This record gives sequence, C-alpha cells and structure tokens, in this order.
Amino acid sequence: MTARLLPFAVLAALLWLTAALQLLPFAQWPAWPLDPARMEIGQILLGFGLMPRGVVALLAGGVLGLSGAILQVVLRNPVADPTTLGISSGAQLALVMATMLAPGLLDGGRWPVALAGAGLAAMLVLAIGARRGFAPVTMVIAGMLVGMTASAVATAMTLAQGQYLLSLVIWNGGALVQQDWSGVRVLAGVLAFGAVAAALLARPLRVLSLGVEGASGLGLNVAMVRLLAVGVAVILAAAVSAELGLIAFVGLAAPALARALGAVSIPRLLALSPLIGALILSVCDGLVLLVAGSLGEMFPTGALTGLIGGPLLIWLLPRLRGSTPPGTERAEGPAPRRGRPAPLLIALALALVMAALVLVWIGRVPGGWTVLDARSFSAFLPMRLPRLIAACSAGAALAIAGAILQRLTANPLASPEVLGVSGGAAIGYAGVVYLAAAPTALALTGGTMAGGASALVLIAAFVSRRDMPAERVLLAGIAVSALASAVLSAAMAVGDTRSFQILAWLSGSSSAVTMPGALALAAMAAVLWTGALAARRWLAVLPLGTGVAGGLGLPLGLARMVLIALAGMATGAATVLVGPLSFVGLMAPHLARRLGLARPGDHVTGAALIGAGLMLAADFGARMAGFPYELPLGLFASLIGAPWLIWLMMRSRR
Amino acid sequence: MNLFSITDLTVDVSGRRLLHGLTLDLPAGRMIALIGHNGSGKSTLLKVLARQIAASGGRVAFEGRALADWRARDYARRLAFLPQHPPAAEGMTVRELVALGRYPWHGALGRFGPHDHQAVARAMAECGVTAFADRLVDTLSGGERQRAWLAMMVAQEAGTLLLDEPISALDIAHQVEVLALVRRMCHETGRSAVIVLHEVNMSARFCDHVVALKGGRLALQGGPADLMQPEALERIYGLPMQVLTRPDGSPVAIPA
Repeated sequence: MTARLLPFAVLAALLWLTAALQLLPFAQWPAWPLDPARMEIGQILLGFGLMPRGVVALLAGGVLGLSGAILQVVLRNPVADPTTLGISSGAQLALVMATMLAPGLLDGGRWPVALAGAGLAAMLVLAIGARRGFAPVTMVIAGMLVGMTASAVATAMTLAQGQYLLSLVIWNGGALVQQDWSGVRVLAGVLAFGAVAAALLARPLRVLSLGVEGASGLGLNVAMVRLLAVGVAVILAAAVSAELGLIAFVGLAAPALARALGAVSIPRLLALSPLIGALILSVCDGLVLLVAGSLGEMFPTGALTGLIGGPLLIWLLPRLRGSTPPGTERAEGPAPRRGRPAPLLIALALALVMAALVLVWIGRVPGGWTVLDARSFSAFLPMRLPRLIAACSAGAALAIAGAILQRLTANPLASPEVLGVSGGAAIGYAGVVYLAAAPTALALTGGTMAGGASALVLIAAFVSRRDMPAERVLLAGIAVSALASAVLSAAMAVGDTRSFQILAWLSGSSSAVTMPGALALAAMAAVLWTGALAARRWLAVLPLGTGVAGGLGLPLGLARMVLIALAGMATGAATVLVGPLSFVGLMAPHLARRLGLARPGDHVTGAALIGAGLMLAADFGARMAGFPYELPLGLFASLIGAPWLIWLMMRSRR
Repeated sequence: MNLFSITDLTVDVSGRRLLHGLTLDLPAGRMIALIGHNGSGKSTLLKVLARQIAASGGRVAFEGRALADWRARDYARRLAFLPQHPPAAEGMTVRELVALGRYPWHGALGRFGPHDHQAVARAMAECGVTAFADRLVDTLSGGERQRAWLAMMVAQEAGTLLLDEPISALDIAHQVEVLALVRRMCHETGRSAVIVLHEVNMSARFCDHVVALKGGRLALQGGPADLMQPEALERIYGLPMQVLTRPDGSPVAIPA
C-alpha cells in the first residue's frame, strides 16, 4: 500500500524543487553546513527559508497526522482530529489572547500558552463527550462548536485591535514561512516524542478498541489510557499550533486516507498516518509556493488545508458506521411541560414590548445614564427604532429557524449557525465584496442570501436521503461551516481593506440599518412564523423519526424541503444584519423548551419571542458596554451564547 | 382478495442481497407472524410492506394495487406501521401521540373535527390508555408506552397493522398483554396484522398464520400446527428442536 503513496511523494518533491529552482539555480545552492556569513542573499533565502520550510511541512504534517490517528483510535471516532475537537482553536484563542492582553506570557515561548489553550478546549470537549458515552458525532459537534466559539472570540479580539489584524490573520491561517532551522528542530523533537508515545500506547489502544466494558474486563485502566493518549494528541496539536498556527484537517485526512489504503490494525494506522499527513501538508505547501507569486508570499498553507476539510467530512459521513450505542446521541433528560402555555407566551410578549420601550427611552451619556426627555426622544427615535425592529426581527427569525431545525433533526443542538447556512451566507457576502467593484447594499444582501441558499442545497441533498440520521445531517452542516470559514480565512489572508470590511460584518452590526430594511426583515420574520405555525403538524411528527412519519403518510421529502427552505431564507436574511455567529438560533428554541413550551406552535412562538428579546438585549449591550464606541452586535450575542451553550452541553442527564 | 401479493421480491442493501426472489401471498383478516433467525430478512420484508425501504426488484401489491401506486396518505389510511424502536416522543402527552394517528385523515392543514376526536377516544379506550391520556409518553412504563403507540395505530383507523418486534423490550406479562390486545383487534374488528416476532411459542399461541424466512428465502408458510413440528423448526432455525405437549394439548417448542 505504501507504493501508492510514491506518486504523492514525487509530486511534493517536484513542487518544492520547482519553487527552489525558481529561487536559485542548482549550481548556486549553498554548501552544507550552512554559514550565513559566507552566503549571498539568494542562498540565505533558500538555506534558511525554503529548505527549512520544506522540512517543516513534512514534520508538521507528520505530527498532525499522528495526533489525529491517536485521537481517532482512542475515541473510536473516525471523524476526530485536533480541528474537529476544537483543540487547535483553543490553542489559537489562547495565543491571540496572550498576544493582546498579556504579551509577557509569551516570553517563555508560545508553547505553554498554546498548550494551556489546547488542553482547556480538549478538557471541555471531553467532559461533554463523557456525559454522552463519547458518541462520535456528538463529540465532533461539541468540538466544532467549542472551536467555532473560540474562533469567534479570537476574531472579535482581532477586530478590536485593528493594528495587529494582518499578522494575526496570517498566523491564524497557518503560514509555514520559516526564517531559520529552529522550527525544524522543535518539530522534529515533538515528532520523535509522539512516535515513542504512540509506540508505547499501541497495545493498550488495541485493547481499548474492544470498548470500555471489554477493555476493563481485560484489566486495562481505561481512564488512564484515555487520558494519556488524549494528552499526547493534545501536546502534538498544540506544538504545531504554537509553531505554525492553525493548520486544519490534516489530522482528519491522514488517518482517513490510511484507512482507505487498507491500514486496518491500530499499529499500522499509527505508523502510516504521520507519513500520509506529511505528504498532504507538503503537497499543499508546494501548491501554495507555486501560486505564491500571484497571491503574495504570505498566503497561509493552513487556509488551503482547511479547504480539504469540509469536503472530506462530507465524504466520510455516509461511511461512518452506526456503531453508537442507542440513546447516547441524545441530549439531557426530558424537559418540563406546561399545562397552559398561553399565560407564559403573553407574559413573554409583554416583557418584550416593555423592554423595547425602556431601552428606547434610556441611554448612556458621558458620566452616567439618563432618561430621554421628549425632545431628545423624538430626535433619537428615527435612529433607534429601525435597529430595534431589525434586531428583534433578526432574533425572532433566527429563533424560529432554530426551532424548525431542532424539530426537523430531532436534535437539540441543531441551529442555523450550526447547519452551515450562516457560513454559506458569509461566503456569499465575501464573494460580493471581492468580486464587485463597489457593491451596493442590495447586491450584498442578494449575495448573502444566495450563499445561504447554496449551503442549504448541499444540506438538503443530505436530508433527502431517507436513511441519513439526523446527527449526520448536523455534521454535514458543520462541514459546510468549516469549508466556509476556510474560504473566508483564505480570502482574508490576502489582506487588504476589504478583509477588514468582511471581518467587521462577520461580527455583526445593526448601526447601519435603514427603516425599509428593518421592516423587510420584520415581514420576513412574520412570514416565517406563519409558515412554521402552518407546518406545526409536520413539526410534531418529524421528531418521531422517519419510521413513524412515513407510516403516518407524511410526505417526508417535501416536508423536509419546505421546512429547510423556510429556515434557510430566514437565516440568510437575518445573517445580513447580525453576522453568522450569534447562537440565538440555538439558544432561543432551547430556552423555550426548557420553559415548558412543548407543543410545536407554542414552542415556535415562544422561541421567536425569546429570540427577539435576546437580540434586543444584545443590541443594548453592544451599544452601551463599550460606550461611546459600539461593539458588534453578533459578537455580543455570541458572548451571551457561548457560555450558555457550554453550560447546556455540560449539564448531566437526568 | 389477498392482503399482500408478493412476487419475486428482491431487496439489496449496500451491495448485500437481503431477500432473494420471494414469492408469497399473505391472507387478509388474519394475525400473521413473520419469524426467522437473525438476519433472515423478516424485518426487511416488513419494512418493504410498510414502504419504509424500496424493493430492488419484483412486485408487491397491497389490496390488489402495486405499492408504488398508493399515495402516501391513502396508504397510511389503510395500513399502520410501528417501527421496532418507537422514539421517545419527548414532551408529548398520550392523547397528543394518539391524535397524531389522525394525520393521514386531516393532513397538514385540515381541521381536527369531531370524528377525529371520537376516533382518538375510541382508540385510547380500546387499548386501555384512557386513564393516562394526559400523562407524558416518556414517563410511562414499557408496556403502557407500547399500548399508547398501538392506540396511535388504532386511531389511524387502518385495516392493517404492521408491527416490528413489538414485544422485544417487554417482560413476559406485558408480552402476553400486547399480543392479546392485537389478537383481539384482529378477531373482533376484522383487522389484519403482520407481526415480526422472535419467540416461536408466542407466535404459535397468538397468531393464526405463520410465515418463516431463512436466509432471505421462504422457509415455511402455514398455520401454527405446521410450524410446531420438530423438522419444520429445525429447518427454520438450523437447530434440533423438541415439541412438548402441555396438559391442555397446545404445543411448546424448546431446543432439544
């Protein structure tokens, strides 16, 4: 099977050689050992730039491949890797925070910081996974959510510190550019450590592959082996993060390819994955070198590997065996149910109206708070009313979309943000920004909705497959999100003023909303609400699964298509305003359900009211927290959403 | 007329042939047991009849009309299906679950009229779940929950019930209770039922007709007396079986 890898090795070598020979003819290559004092500039560029870069690509790819293979084996999860489990994003967030808030921490090298971040993210995801029996798809969903949240916060912080923007974006994208051989030495050491650890762990891991009961029956200390193996994988991933930045999905692709090449046993998988990982990253880096002339030297290789991640996950999905024990992919225990939901719904509606009134009336002035008098009220109203309406409508639309998707997939973690609709919308927006010379607001909106719709088509292709379980659909959505964020980071890495525009939009703002825009959004939310109420019988039957729904004569394909289209349109429209990372669509339906609104109609209505209220609160917070400056709306919403989400997933099952 | 006429039915799932050219007629108005070893294709056959999976080849007709010619809701009015693992129905009361059985009649937007209310009440009474109509389905015990699901199928007012291992998760008392309920439904109101069962003795005791599959092919079709023969049982399960006679004359099969 290794013979089939040879062409790729040759390809990687050729790509690197092309770049090297472009830089310097072979006759002038520096002699070994390298001595910068006796070298010309071209020789230095080759000897201390391109040469270590080629080696680093191999080493980092190997480290990531090994890390992914260990994670996949220990979690018995063929879609685990440092990216899908949020480990890399945790390291990234820790490094971004340290860079901005406490640069002193980085004096001891980036390592300790990256390791702490990666370790924390891994602990969080594993804690969630432990409560669900390490069910593969749930773990990856938790990991990708933790990862997305970490990236959102990192993006927001980047945005707040515009002067660091370019260098951070470049680092986030995972550039392999080298200035000397120190990176090679470090990564070689890491790889050696990983190899020794993997060799020691191979046999316990093979026993563990029997499952927890079987392995502990054979006398294996399951917890210890898991801890050690995950620890090794985290160290490996954090090392690459610290040295090079975020290089996504190599750890996912390498073991997958190794398995496709026939590596069935665990020792072979652990041996072959680093090799394949090294080749993948080398080929990717070679391609980047090849196009470097047209896009600038700094185009990050990690952005390219990110592009393979989404399609790869989608390809892997149908091949995931349904080996999960039943029940483990479920969320926490039964939610309460309210006998008479009407009083609660009325109270929610009243609270929303009251809150809106109060928030219009009070404001912050230098030195304190004030209640507006009649004159300034009439002056402020035309400015505040549109964004109030827009924020409420966007929140309601996202919440209804979330409620629909959660019922459709029978999964409490489904939401427009998670299903990739928002990610697709973001690509659409970025596409218009880059392709149109002076994009109008209409073009931007159209682009955003088109992007969201294309993501939906992809998801719908999955949903229309009758035997596709709901969790897989969710994972497909996450794959689309991953693809979208990879495209975005690649686009932004090109680095000009347009990237700042996209970044600003990504975190969402309601400051530029016009009255017609706000009313259009409100109409959209109203249409969506009516549609959801009309479809409430479908929404009652669909959570019972395809067997029951088909048995009752429900037009499964049609119902799914209609509901997904509804949710997608609403998401596209709302995303234009608040950006793709708000989590309102996740939180609001869940809160409504926890408040005891069980029947579909009540659930959808309650979710809409709660979503509107949440977005209203986020809008108020965004205006007031950083007064006189305005914080991005979507960012503020996700700062409310992220802790909620994590609390939600950490809750024990009753 | 036959309930189902199956001609030359083959089913392939991901490259494996689960049913090999099955030809079989199922009589109407009977309680039919579908038995066989694990992987014999009995659940697959039931899912084809319920239109949950599509046949790869051959013809299946229900009440004289090919399966593909039925509209989804018309089919659901004539035939009710209970999957092997009914979902949790989280946050739903028994009454709401049973009312879902009216979907084939009123559709997504139609009115839930007086006749629908009557049908729901009758179904709950027939299955003995009226007492906990307002309790949440996920708080019921296994036997009660299975009866609630049966009530949903009854509310469908379908003449044919398809049940996929309805008693596999129940204790012996509830097994008898559920099968006795289905038997009463068949014999008192002229319904037909096709039930996938694991338990030979339960099949012989409660069903009037037995279809046995082996390796995706028909192994036996006939009454309970035809099934309860040592040679027939050995042919079906590939294991020597002994048939004892109870004091009341009914046969009991045990591994020899």
